[in-house]
Amino acid sequence: MVDVSRVQKELTECNRDREVSGVSIALHDGANISHLTGTIAGPADSPYEGGTFTIDIRLPGGYPFEPPKMQFITKVWHPNISSQNGAICLDILKDQWSPALTLKTALLSLQALLSCPAPDDPQDAVVAQQYLRDYPTFAATARYWTEAFAKCSSTGMEEKVQKLVEMGFPEELVRSTLKSVDGDENMALEKLCSG
Amino acid sequence: MPPVPSGSQTNRGAREMASDGPPPEQGKMEEASTTAAGSGASDLDDPHFMCCVCLELLYKPVVISCGHMSCFWCVHKTMHIIRESHCAICRQPYKHFPSICQLLHHLLLKLEPAEYKRREKEVLEEEKSIETYSPQIIEFLNSKNNEVGNNENRHEDSKTGPPQEVSLNGSIVDENSKKINLEDVACPLCKEMLYQPAVLNCGHVYCVSCLSSNDEALKCHVCGSLHPGDFPNVCLDLDHFLEEYFPAEYVSRGQKVQFKKGQCNREGSSSGTSCTKGSNRTQHDEDLANIHIGVGCDSCGAYPIRGKRYKCQDCTELIGFDLCDACYNSSSKLPGRFNQQHTPDHRMELDDSALLQRLLRIHGIPEDGQEELMMEEAVVAPGAMLHIVVDDQEMEDNGEEDQAL
Repeated sequence: MVDVSRVQKELTECNRDREVSGVSIALHDGANISHLTGTIAGPADSPYEGGTFTIDIRLPGGYPFEPPKMQFITKVWHPNISSQNGAICLDILKDQWSPALTLKTALLSLQALLSCPAPDDPQDAVVAQQYLRDYPTFAATARYWTEAFAKCSSTGMEEKVQKLVEMGFPEELVRSTLKSVDGDENMALEKLCSG
Repeated sequence: MPPVPSGSQTNRGAREMASDGPPPEQGKMEEASTTAAGSGASDLDDPHFMCCVCLELLYKPVVISCGHMSCFWCVHKTMHIIRESHCAICRQPYKHFPSICQLLHHLLLKLEPAEYKRREKEVLEEEKSIETYSPQIIEFLNSKNNEVGNNENRHEDSKTGPPQEVSLNGSIVDENSKKINLEDVACPLCKEMLYQPAVLNCGHVYCVSCLSSNDEALKCHVCGSLHPGDFPNVCLDLDHFLEEYFPAEYVSRGQKVQFKKGQCNREGSSSGTSCTKGSNRTQHDEDLANIHIGVGCDSCGAYPIRGKRYKCQDCTELIGFDLCDACYNSSSKLPGRFNQQHTPDHRMELDDSALLQRLLRIHGIPEDGQEELMMEEAVVAPGAMLHIVVDDQEMEDNGEEDQAL
């Protein structure tokens, strides 16, 4: 059984300073505490800067004595992350996991991984090769992917928020509603009106 | 984003504030209020004594030789059933499950009586569900424990329970006095306040300077048990607590120890700097085939047992009572690690039912297949392995510590 009280503590702790740390965690579907969604901000001075990356988190029954299972949902061009399915190659998510680590520290490690790829221990051989042989092309591709997949919802997001706020809805509610419908403006409006 | 279900925590925080009757005293509480203010609905008053695994107040704390500590069950669950274990915080390897540090246990009971009692209840529920219990802790005669109804603790150990009268001299807590007395944190060797405390495998605490004076194998002066493994590091959490709680005493103790060290420094020994000693890595040349999966020695705490394993034929507890070769031959009289009612007249017999080699043979896995299996296992979490090996065959003996995992 997942240690529910610990996971709840972790969620509170992680979301307390989300603005500063750039990482946050939410329940995936409200009811199931062992399925979560993490969000990390792309680190500055990297091709991922400005992007927001979501990560699917599943907690095995032995958590925290077994590592959480994490996978990028947002497509990422990175030597240690599969460009196909988002699988992550990171030691602390495998044999180097320790129960003293938390979901937050794991997400922070992912953020650090985005900053400092380890192409010698790749998950995606194609990306790793490109990183080693032709760094400029790698950086350009990574930047393009960030632009294309990690920003679309967030760049438009501010405008959508503003629009809905101008209609008279409270900002916080607007943001949470938009998030719950994956940034779909019309569905958010519908939800706001009905709610 | 859906709201985080933090209800239970905030509730608890509030209740704690209300029930934590005694007015704040210097030092600790000041710090507590600042942290509480800084971190919002912090669950814990004192971050020193938070378990890094369950993120709650330490309950029945166990200090590993690297100086880091966790709850009894948190350490046990973290330990690897086949290989040597690694500290959850610093990853230093260790092979023995240390006994509960009673000094810390009593310290926490006095510091956070309400929260500690709550944890006790919580853990007891869990223990009931797995039918395996952590050791009962006997109250000290000199501990003047009067904070909370310690009768609950005593009835289990009635034969050794201290007489009730001890509490009469201090039954009313002076509101201005500290919850902890200097004698609660005294070193059994120098009889003074602990300075840079280190905890032995048996759970007894000494100043690191008192320990390092003898070069022989470390032996506890209180219970006589040998300390296996690396020289223990300073338990920094406890050290920092003492520094904050008894600042004046701490400074004077520090000066004294420095002075003493200066006097006998001609040997140039590394006394006190135990960190360097702790870093010598144990070799990875373990003979995996001689390992009894998930079975620990109830005397020295070796986990898993390597080599011969002796199993008690008379203990009825689910977890059983086992000894390693060395402890069997030393005829140790220590009680079990899981509150077993083991007595010296019980029959002990050699047992190889959990021996890795045997399990592999039953499965028809060739010798050279071992390595592969081990590699696989390194990725799988500790608990999972036991299920793989044991579950799919009808072994009578598949209980063991699996139940506790």
